[in-house]
Amino acid sequence: MPVPETREFFLDASRCIGCQSCVQACAECDTHKGQSMIQLDYVDRSRSTQTLPVICMHCDSPTCAEVCPADAIKRTEDGVVQTARKPRCIACNNCVLACPFGVPKMNTRMNLMMKCDMCYDRTSVGLKPMRASVCPSQALAFGTREEIAALRPGARPVNTFQFGAQTIRTKVNVLVPKAAANEIIDVTAAMYEPPLGRDLLDDMSEPGRSPA
Amino acid sequence: MTREVTRALGWASAVTAGLALLILLGSRKLEHFDAALVAYTFSIVFATFGLTYRYTMWLSRPPTALYWRRGWQAFLLGGHRLRNARSWFARVTLDVLLNRFILRRDRLRGLTHLLIMWGCTLAVAITFPLVFGWLHFGPVPGNLSMYQAVVFGFVAFRFPHDSWVAFLLFHGLVWASFLVIAGVMLAMRRRMREEGAGAVQRFAEDFMPLLLLFAVSVTGLMLTASYTWMRGYGFTFISLLHACTVIGTFVWLPFGKFFHVFQRPAQLGVSFYKDMGRLGDKAHCRRCGHAFSSRMHVLDLIAVERQLGFKYEIPGSPAEHYQWVCPPCRRASFAVAQGLLWRDQRGGAPLSQTHEPQAMPAQANPGLGSGPLGPEDAENFHP
Amino acid sequence: MKSPEVAADVPVPGLDLDAIREFGPFRAYAQDVRVDSGVIPDKQVKTHCCFCGQQCGIELKVKGNTIIGIEPRYDFPFNRGMLCPKGVKRYLQQAHPDRLLSAYAKDSNAPSGFRRLPYEEAIRRVADEIQRIQTAHGPNAFAVLSGASLTTEKTYLMGKFAHMCLRTSNIDYNGRLCMVSAGAGNKKAFGVDRAANPWSDILETDVVLVAGANVAECAPITTNYIWQARERGAKVIVVDPRITPLARTADLFLPVKPGRDTALFNGILQLMIENDWLDHDFIARHTVGFEALAREVRAWTPQRTAEVTGVAERSIRRAAELWGTAKSSFLMHARGIEHHSHGVHNVLSTINIVLASGRIGRRGSGYATITGQANGQGGREHGQKCDQLPGGRELANPEHRAYIAGLWNMEPDELPQPGVDAYEIMRKAHAGEIRGLLSICFNPVVSLPDNNFVRAALEKLEFFVTIDFFMSETSRYADVVLPGSLQEEDEGTVTQVEGRIIRINKAVECPGDAREDWRIIQDLARALGRERGFTFQSPGEIFEELRVASKGGICDYSGVTYENIEKHDGVFWPCPSETPAGIPATSAQGTLRLFEPDSWNPIARGAGPFYFPDGKARFNVTPYVGPAEDVDADYPVILTTGRVVSQFLSGNQTRRIGPLVDHYPEPRVELHPKLAARLGIAHGDWTTLRSRRGTLTVRASVVSTIRPDTVFVPYHWGGRKSVNQLTISAQDAISKIPEFKVCAVNVVKADGPPEYATQLEPQQ
Repeated sequence: MPVPETREFFLDASRCIGCQSCVQACAECDTHKGQSMIQLDYVDRSRSTQTLPVICMHCDSPTCAEVCPADAIKRTEDGVVQTARKPRCIACNNCVLACPFGVPKMNTRMNLMMKCDMCYDRTSVGLKPMRASVCPSQALAFGTREEIAALRPGARPVNTFQFGAQTIRTKVNVLVPKAAANEIIDVTAAMYEPPLGRDLLDDMSEPGRSPA
Repeated sequence: MTREVTRALGWASAVTAGLALLILLGSRKLEHFDAALVAYTFSIVFATFGLTYRYTMWLSRPPTALYWRRGWQAFLLGGHRLRNARSWFARVTLDVLLNRFILRRDRLRGLTHLLIMWGCTLAVAITFPLVFGWLHFGPVPGNLSMYQAVVFGFVAFRFPHDSWVAFLLFHGLVWASFLVIAGVMLAMRRRMREEGAGAVQRFAEDFMPLLLLFAVSVTGLMLTASYTWMRGYGFTFISLLHACTVIGTFVWLPFGKFFHVFQRPAQLGVSFYKDMGRLGDKAHCRRCGHAFSSRMHVLDLIAVERQLGFKYEIPGSPAEHYQWVCPPCRRASFAVAQGLLWRDQRGGAPLSQTHEPQAMPAQANPGLGSGPLGPEDAENFHP
Repeated sequence: MKSPEVAADVPVPGLDLDAIREFGPFRAYAQDVRVDSGVIPDKQVKTHCCFCGQQCGIELKVKGNTIIGIEPRYDFPFNRGMLCPKGVKRYLQQAHPDRLLSAYAKDSNAPSGFRRLPYEEAIRRVADEIQRIQTAHGPNAFAVLSGASLTTEKTYLMGKFAHMCLRTSNIDYNGRLCMVSAGAGNKKAFGVDRAANPWSDILETDVVLVAGANVAECAPITTNYIWQARERGAKVIVVDPRITPLARTADLFLPVKPGRDTALFNGILQLMIENDWLDHDFIARHTVGFEALAREVRAWTPQRTAEVTGVAERSIRRAAELWGTAKSSFLMHARGIEHHSHGVHNVLSTINIVLASGRIGRRGSGYATITGQANGQGGREHGQKCDQLPGGRELANPEHRAYIAGLWNMEPDELPQPGVDAYEIMRKAHAGEIRGLLSICFNPVVSLPDNNFVRAALEKLEFFVTIDFFMSETSRYADVVLPGSLQEEDEGTVTQVEGRIIRINKAVECPGDAREDWRIIQDLARALGRERGFTFQSPGEIFEELRVASKGGICDYSGVTYENIEKHDGVFWPCPSETPAGIPATSAQGTLRLFEPDSWNPIARGAGPFYFPDGKARFNVTPYVGPAEDVDADYPVILTTGRVVSQFLSGNQTRRIGPLVDHYPEPRVELHPKLAARLGIAHGDWTTLRSRRGTLTVRASVVSTIRPDTVFVPYHWGGRKSVNQLTISAQDAISKIPEFKVCAVNVVKADGPPEYATQLEPQQ
């Protein structure tokens, strides 16, 4: 029951409004009800409302699976990196720490790593992943390349990422501006960049004046 | 042939030879060996070879090898041995014998697993010694109403043949099959009923083992039924059928889901490794400065990643290696990298640099389940 | 610093520990049948979310009498599967342990203060008390408070119950805290009160101006409409004192000082005039009053505007240019500019720049106010407002009175005269003029400003009855609580943000003694011996009468049927059943867009697109007036209030949904690091806010995404966590909306945690 090859995930974190619909919807999934596999963080809430939803990117050669001592993480023929096989996972945390995108979670009580497996229970029966359907900003979108191209004429999908000297290709796409020259998003190059937002004082008439 | 394969073949041969030797010794040079069971014996010997081969291959994978080594180091760590021995007993009892972690995943699933696990264990405990000739029962010479158990050629104990002990002992496999059948039924029910399970299960991986266990148990029961109530009707055929199912299960043992029985104890090593990590230094994220996992774990992962051919080194960066960056900062960097590309099209801009190091990202919803799934996540994701 | 004066007779709310122990709020999480993935639902009911005015389509999965989960509705055109976190978790409010399963009567001997009462006995008692109070003190001594989360059928019935059965003038609704400024402004400018455009027009616009609306948190689904416009190159301007999630990436952000919106829009209009960014043809043909307005705004130079509003002059100039030179535009606003003692002026000042641009009434160009509650639109149309009769008719208009009296089979003179607004009802209760009150779908103890006064008022009532599904903070003051229905336990229609009438379908039955609200009202009418006109057998029957009642009114529903609603995914009013000869009949889908150039309406009758006899829109002169309470030496900081995405209104429902509580468990005060540094407050510190009316201690959230002269606290919590202990009850002269968005407070670091910190769960 593979995910239909034509429909893909598209992530545009810059659209995210941090509403947590995805987090709440993910916890409705039958395979892990009550537990959300989405990582949603504030980059730096003290200065910006920038938030980022991160789902499993489904790498072509998944670091998590390679560093798993128990062979618990499998990638299906259609490129879905599945959550840990329950009988095998020994809760070592290797995948949690090694995933370049910081995706997997560890359920300590259950001795079980858990992560997004592209809503296999829904996509395998033709339903849209719940978290992408509900996303009110469509920072998480699920559809065919044609649909996305029509909806986002200014954007283009990229699925190659640079982490130091390591290049990672993924099944999930990230949307970048059409005009951007990048074929690769260099994640570690942005590591020491500040959050994106705006300085409210810049837009005020008398930012220096004391409020009292 | 690679070095790993050679070594695996070596270990497999050695262990198999060891088992053969034990069979010879235990059966007093095959004196007590039951010739009718020879097919079973050979299938177990084959399985032993396969399992050892696979286990050795598995252990030679860099992450596994590292955990294997570190697990023992941690267990034998000077000054902690007594405590380790105590927690070993606790962990074996709670997690291995009582399946605590599975019960926590789901109570019914825990029960299912307990039934199957103890059913199989009981069956193995009874049949293996019989098959290897290590154990056999016979009438006490000179006293026809008494039976005796002979272990490795020595008489272990005696009991009247019409006692309840005899009834329990001679029907041990019946009890085992009851446990297994109940467990298999529960497992099947779950797999046929729950959508969540339905989505990810595969026939070979998930149904096959259940079917094999079911077949073994049912044919075994049929044997008992045949000689107890049906005066041995079809006994030969049923025993052939039973032998086929059992041998099939053994031969399949190294390849399928049952291999987890041998992998799982590695969990104990992981627990000790984590204990050792807690004793040592913490790793500090080289983006936000916050402590997360143990320094040892990060260093080990760097070594493993290098062995696996990953190049997460970051030339020219104070972070040096990406493994020194905590999971939330990885996510934040990912988002910032994408956001920066949109800088000219969308409003907002990189804010001035005021933090040194970068601020710690925070989970938008730290509620349990929505954010971290447990204390280790809480540590690694610092909500 | 002078210590604040708190009126001596104002009760500081207690912790109500005993009541909380019995009635909650407790948090529900999915468990048992809701987490068993082997359970196959008996049915999936297509309906809508029970919370905000966007009314996203949703399917409820039902097993037995329990809603076990949801499925997004991809077929509903407004949200196409999108949902906010409240929509995803709304199912957890049903089959909730806190659910009221019987009637309750106040009983000082019971630990929780209440004992169970058989339903019939409760109805009898309420009817007797109504009878007694009205006989002794006149019909107006008994008042009714209703709400805009009810179906339109129920809101119609509530108005009819008050006006026909109780014959009291005093009925008002909680939209008084919500939609009335927008409504009054729209009526004054356009002659009709409805979003002028469907949301699909946002997709095709070039400039989106969002004023005083935290779209990302309060109307999340609208975010995607705005983003889709941006994908086509649209520019987004956000006016807000806080950098909301949408403001973060907006093309232009105007951090207006709370309460200065009129000044800002006057300033923008002045720049439009200066630069001749006007549609002269539209102004001449379709509007009146521009000259007077132009004279008024002349004084609003960019410098002065910047000085008053606190927005940088270049940002104001840029906004005027973006807006002024746009080919198409969409302006939307919400409570941020409406919750003011001059909220109607704020609304009108935004409408003025829309009318001056001439960009309304066509595809891709328009204007809308974002409704707050589920039926924020329908709930303000059919007679539960203090001056209103069904169909948007007026209680003071003799013709309108005659029409409705005729329908209700009574003499026009028997209809009461217009009454007073919701807050005035409280004042009259406090003054002893109103002695009895029935409240439904309203939680004034949490949601009204200066709620310590509200508590005092409720305590003075001789008899107070509420209809509630959970024991709200307000119901704890009631003498009798009647167990009403949740949205999913009843059917009917609501009218969402676009003016689209949609169907709410019943998914489960009312549990225990609880029953559909309209049945309770009819039971009361029967117990009062005045059941004529209150013998409906279903919401459908009420709707049929409502269609007739609205016929010929501005909010004309006469051509709307349940069947057409289902068939067309909603029907936009006005949808008259018949139009005069020569005028094409309204389509079965109703009127998607108002004010289209050649459109016909029953007021203008062809004279023009707007709902005035001359068919022309009105420019209104909007002089700037500051907030009722400005900062001073004693109270030097502006307090503004609002919502968070995980909670809804007074939280009576959402504070019982565990995953939503976890998301934002307790109120926090947001303040700028500059202000925090001066006050010596660090992130996470307990912080005390004092106003002239009350005190609140909550934890600080130090963030630079808010103006340094302003602090923000969300209002969803009750008791000592309620920020409305502090807010001011100053009201707009026209709309009577309270000024939730500005009052003066002083802020200090608290000595220690408040008493509630150790005794209450976060949501309590």
